[in-house]
Amino acid sequence: MSETTTTSDAAPEPYRGTVTTPTIVKLSGIAKTFYRGNEPIKVLDGLDLDVPNGSFEALMGPSGSGKSTLLNIIAGLDRPTSGTVLVAGADLTRLSDGQLARWRSQTIGFVFQSFNLIPVLTAAENVELPLLLTSLSRADRVKHVATALRIVGLEDRMHHYPRQLSGGQEQRVAIARAIVNDPKIIVADEPTGDLDRKSADDVLLLMERLNKELHKTIFMVTHDPAAAERAGVQRKLDKGALQ
Amino acid sequence: MNAVTYARRNMFRRRGRTILTMIVVALAVLIFCGIRTLILSFNVGVDQAAADRIGTRHKVSITMQLPRRYIDDLRAVPGVTKATWANWFGAKDPKQRVPFFAGIAVDQDSYFDVATEIQVPPYQLAAWKQTRNGAILGDQLAAKFGVKPGDRLVIDSDIYPGDWEFTVSGIYTVTKKTADRSSLIFRWDYLNDDPRAVASKNTVGWMIERIDDSAHSADISQRIDAKFDSQDVQTKTMSEGAFQLEFLGGFIAVLSALGLGSIVILLIMALVLANTIGMNVRERTHEYGVLRAIGFSPRYVFGFIVGESLLVALVGGLLGVGLTYLLINGVLAPFLSANMSGPLATVHVSGGVFGLALGLAVALGAIAGAIPAFGASRLKTTDALRRVN
Repeated sequence: MSETTTTSDAAPEPYRGTVTTPTIVKLSGIAKTFYRGNEPIKVLDGLDLDVPNGSFEALMGPSGSGKSTLLNIIAGLDRPTSGTVLVAGADLTRLSDGQLARWRSQTIGFVFQSFNLIPVLTAAENVELPLLLTSLSRADRVKHVATALRIVGLEDRMHHYPRQLSGGQEQRVAIARAIVNDPKIIVADEPTGDLDRKSADDVLLLMERLNKELHKTIFMVTHDPAAAERAGVQRKLDKGALQ
Repeated sequence: MNAVTYARRNMFRRRGRTILTMIVVALAVLIFCGIRTLILSFNVGVDQAAADRIGTRHKVSITMQLPRRYIDDLRAVPGVTKATWANWFGAKDPKQRVPFFAGIAVDQDSYFDVATEIQVPPYQLAAWKQTRNGAILGDQLAAKFGVKPGDRLVIDSDIYPGDWEFTVSGIYTVTKKTADRSSLIFRWDYLNDDPRAVASKNTVGWMIERIDDSAHSADISQRIDAKFDSQDVQTKTMSEGAFQLEFLGGFIAVLSALGLGSIVILLIMALVLANTIGMNVRERTHEYGVLRAIGFSPRYVFGFIVGESLLVALVGGLLGVGLTYLLINGVLAPFLSANMSGPLATVHVSGGVFGLALGLAVALGAIAGAIPAFGASRLKTTDALRRVN
């Protein structure tokens, strides 16, 4: 991973020879229906979305509006019932589960509401986790981890366990984990939801820096209007459709 | 950091649970090793049976008697170089100082020529042959009774009622570790001439033959049995190993049951391990969802869980091996070797048994982990992420 990498002007790297697009996320006619017993519950209904490369977008909406479902579809964690999903040049609907896992490890950085650090691993080891899926040597992995932790300002906490960190610090470690393999897109699901205002501001500031300085595309789901204001684009989702 | 680090750290997330599971694995290995070693010890006696010795008994059962007169015909069978006979006495100590020991009435002229693993000082043997109620005791039995040559010894019998008085003529030692050092051997004519043994007069329990070529033991056995086929009592002749197995009789079934029990104990261990890993997996389902989200495939999740299970089984198994070595080879085996004779004196857990126990524990650990691992790896990432601990 490099702090000076720029991706805003470059076309996304093609994945398995699929479509190259100036927008990094292009959703067309996305529908998602869940079933409770035999009863269908339509969560997304014919949704279209273009997210430009290098943008910082916030998605808001009431509970149950389908925000997390949409985020999961963009991140390749879930598949739509119908529609096409083009992300970073890959048609996710055509990838197998194994290919999707590999694609996620190379393309997506995740930031969760509750941090989701592994409690038995130190900060550095948590950040190193995604790199275990690469062919990097141990020495290179250590360098990448140090860089990621330096970016989030926690170089001095690399040997601390999650229980020894504050909530804000944990989330910054989670962000370091999300960027350590230099992903094209960072998806964040309520990244400030479990934080106090001060820690939330620190995290949002960090995300702004990642977007502006490292040109990472960030797609963030949030309930917090203050958090959404930090994003360049704000979208609202209600009853499965973008407003 | 690598995948093993993660599995190792996970192992002690629930320290108490993991330690208890490891103790179960260790105990299972200890019990398994103990049982297998006991079985092997009894087999050692059979395996080390003299190849050039065969035994003859009543065709129906060893509990039925053969006419003593058969010995002359038997000695005339080609291939038989020496032959002797013996009778089970059913000895017991009236003072109950020794719970169980073998009492055997033997032919004083030929027995020690055939049972060459039993060593008696020549002058004691000569004295015994001259003493009608003389007895030769194994060194362990003599020590338990606290007797020496020249002492008087009174013994009871399960078969022949009343007190039987003996004069200790000698103490024998053995050249084979599997041979019994706790027998009382006395003259057959002393038993045969006693009115209490009138029902079995001029009969013997079994005959033992030494043969000129162990490769022909089956042929010679057939020849012996053929010789008595048309007689009033038919015989069954077999190798000494087979004869010893018959002597063990019902105990073989007990050993077989114990062998089965040792496998059942390992299976119970596997179930305990599966339960522990299953609980761990249920508690960490959300975490596995996170791993899947950041790009770890189901194969990795499966590997992490099975790896953890393998580690618990391996560490528990090694603990069990150490415990077994300490308790059985370090404490029990020297005690048994000093105080017991026959198979129990040979108890010693071999490297093969240790290897088998550890291998089975690890293999069952892998299988135990594979069950919850399969379920966790098949779970949809979004479903796993929704699980809350």
